[in-house]
Amino acid sequence: MNRMIKFVGLLATVAAFAPLLHAQFDFRIDGRDVQIHSFAQQGYALSNDNNFLSMDTTHGSFGMTDGGVNASVAITDKFRVGAQVYARNIGQLGDYHVQLDWGYGDYKFKDWFGIRGGKIKTALGLYNDVQDMEFLQTWALLPQGVYPLDLRSSTIAHTGGDIYGEISLHRAGSLGYTGYAGVRENDPYGGTYYGDAAAGDPEQSFSGKAAGGDARWHTPVEGLMIGASFADQTGIIKVLYGAYGGALLTAHSAPEHLTAGYADYIHGKWHLSSEFRRDYNIEPYAFLGTGGITNQSTKGWFGTVAYRAAKWLEVGTYNSRFYVDVPQNPTNPNSNHIFDQTVTARFDITSWWNLKVEGHFMNGYGDTFSAHGFYTADNPAGLKPDTNMFVVRTAFYR
Amino acid sequence: MKNAKYLLVVTTALAVIGGAQAADIKVIANSSVGASSVSSDELRGVFLATKSSLSDGSHVEPVLLKSGAVHEAFLKDYVGKSESALETYYRSLVFTGRGSMPKAFATDADVVAYVEKTKGAVGYVGAATATSGAKVLEVK
Repeated sequence: MNRMIKFVGLLATVAAFAPLLHAQFDFRIDGRDVQIHSFAQQGYALSNDNNFLSMDTTHGSFGMTDGGVNASVAITDKFRVGAQVYARNIGQLGDYHVQLDWGYGDYKFKDWFGIRGGKIKTALGLYNDVQDMEFLQTWALLPQGVYPLDLRSSTIAHTGGDIYGEISLHRAGSLGYTGYAGVRENDPYGGTYYGDAAAGDPEQSFSGKAAGGDARWHTPVEGLMIGASFADQTGIIKVLYGAYGGALLTAHSAPEHLTAGYADYIHGKWHLSSEFRRDYNIEPYAFLGTGGITNQSTKGWFGTVAYRAAKWLEVGTYNSRFYVDVPQNPTNPNSNHIFDQTVTARFDITSWWNLKVEGHFMNGYGDTFSAHGFYTADNPAGLKPDTNMFVVRTAFYR
Repeated sequence: MKNAKYLLVVTTALAVIGGAQAADIKVIANSSVGASSVSSDELRGVFLATKSSLSDGSHVEPVLLKSGAVHEAFLKDYVGKSESALETYYRSLVFTGRGSMPKAFATDADVVAYVEKTKGAVGYVGAATATSGAKVLEVK
């Protein structure tokens, strides 16, 4: 009953702020339109056996709050600037720390060639750059095998430059491309820091670079898009190793290669998508004058099907799979994978407010280093093989 | 003869129920746009914000209707996305900084008025709408 009161109270509070979010704040400077957009999302998760995503989900958790505000303006027909700030509190992650999500200048010389500079969302797979904006998707949680909520900052953005464009292939459709290089995000409030600290090995620093590209072919088949991405990332991590009195351990990827292949198909009221992601990560480390190599490679994929039953209702299901190449405990059959079968109903209450109700039926919990939502620190009695979870998430956006 | 009348009534009713067709839509542009025609691929690119200029080099920006039969027919015939899919698409641009939300108006008259006064604006209205101050683009 207590949980229900909290839930209704939270919904009422969010609903009270909704008109504010929906209000029109756009204005003009020197004849140019400055657009202001914002979103806020609130979730509730209740699971049976395991706590998930650093939330106390076994007792029901409202610790799933995030939101952002952005402003952008076209200075000329070819040059535009903008920025977005974002904050989240997902269980023990984020802690409402406001961060610059993206902020950059964009000059488009031609439709087939433009450049961007600043902090830029990284083009990787179908949803990497929009993974925080779940209100764009059918799902309350994107397939966690490929888009883990706790580890979003490992790929979410880079500070550097992009080249991009859309090339007409005439009867063969068109090809969109992005190439980029820059410095990776360092997020002390994210899952990597949390996982290491919870294991007694607090992370001292993280730095790294990223370069890569994405190409997506809008095929002549109406509604069908096929794409591929590649990222070459480095990471230098310094950790105080708790078991040895806080001795410094330095690890660096050599390098980490992410490869993605994906497809998206919309036909009438149907929407199908699929993505495969390979993370090849061989990580050498140095510790107390010695060294070694760990294999932290993983792979994941998902397939989704959604059907728009009415203007106010979309229903769907997805199957998400995550595999650990070399689990630290190879005899534990539950540590080398996380499988998740999900069913969802999305209710579009207005054009700027939706509510999703979702069921997750998961098996396995992955390995310690890969985290992906299941942390031993959040499950002191030990992780169980199966996790069923109920999620309600609402979002406001304009 | 009676059958022919009956057929005419049924055909007309089906046409009304079926909503607007491509032939019932007029694509219009501001007088600053040099082109007099546009290919359907170009038109789709303009309304998906992947194309900001036409073949003659004119800068263009899309202008939409908010709803209605003409709006739905235009999206279906020229953009290839449903209303909700297009809204999601624009929001994905807006919230990653890759684009702006295009202007959208409730009536044909509002679209015409905006296109007439805005450099590079390209919109669509019902074929019967008066558009004397805007240029009509032929869609090839």
